[in-house]
Amino acid sequence: MIRIAAVGDVHVDKDVVGRYRPALEELPDRADALLIAGDLTRHGTVDEAKCFAQEFGGLGVPVVVVLGNHDHQSDQQDEVTKTIEDAGITVLEGAATVLEIRGHRLGVAGTKGFGGGFAGACASNFGEREMKDFVGTAERYAADLERALKSVECDALVALTHYAPVPETLVGEPLEIYAFLGCYQLGRSIDAAGAALALHGHAHHGSERGRTPGGVPVRNVAHPVIKQAYNVYQLLSEEVDTTLIGAR
Amino acid sequence: MTNDTDLEAEIQRLLTEHDRIAEQGITVQRRDHLVVLGGEVESAQRRDEICRQISSHFPELEITCDIGITRAQAPSEVEEIS
Ligand SMILES: [Fe+2]
Ligand SMILES: [Fe+2]
Repeated sequence: MIRIAAVGDVHVDKDVVGRYRPALEELPDRADALLIAGDLTRHGTVDEAKCFAQEFGGLGVPVVVVLGNHDHQSDQQDEVTKTIEDAGITVLEGAATVLEIRGHRLGVAGTKGFGGGFAGACASNFGEREMKDFVGTAERYAADLERALKSVECDALVALTHYAPVPETLVGEPLEIYAFLGCYQLGRSIDAAGAALALHGHAHHGSERGRTPGGVPVRNVAHPVIKQAYNVYQLLSEEVDTTLIGAR
Repeated sequence: MTNDTDLEAEIQRLLTEHDRIAEQGITVQRRDHLVVLGGEVESAQRRDEICRQISSHFPELEITCDIGITRAQAPSEVEEIS
């Protein structure tokens, strides 16, 4: 059994430091690792990244994250990544990592991803250069995710993105903005590689649960969706055990 | 004065692009005589800043703020994925 905690869209700045910490102190009692699905900061500045690293670093369990669109706002994503990595947190972009947990290998492959939309209402790689750039960007992120997912050997594989791979977990958002919230190419990559679970954020008004066309469970862990510091998911259960987690 | 649809767009762009706010998840609903703001943010300071900025950019509007602060307590349950 592996238990992973997950949240997204924590949007940390000075005013948030300390808010998550009481719940995070209890995390090692409840889960073996923490995955964070992007929008770690408010505007993607190095100062905010330091606040994020302070709040989510040094937990006693591995922390693996992807960046979100907010973390790109100041065009300092490389510095933001470095600041977070310096705090011992793993930042994935088109890459994967394997965590050894209780004798199991948990693989996590991640990318920020991009928009573009879903079947029946998606952008096409056609027309103006700007439109082809937009769709091409989504396709590049999806290809990177697929390569990362396929690169690991593990007992359980989790796909971690900021943008959504399916439309079901967007329900609650205005239909008009679905194309800015995710793209079907991410879901296709997850299905092509196979995964036990796909986690994303970005859709603050979306819904929690969905599945890819291929049947992989998808969870939107955006903080305003889950309404607590993090959710906990259990993988590789030896027996059905969904009782309350023992809070010590 | 701008029409209702444009007003909603203008408020939403202000909230997203203003460098002290950067919120994309705020809803704007028009009632008879007032505008109701909804959604959730990460701190009380952010909620108050949103109301302050809208009031100063649109002084003729009456604003009601239903924006919540997202709770950050530890979970008490685990979901089994199968
Ligand atoms: Fe977000
Ligand atoms: Fe986002």
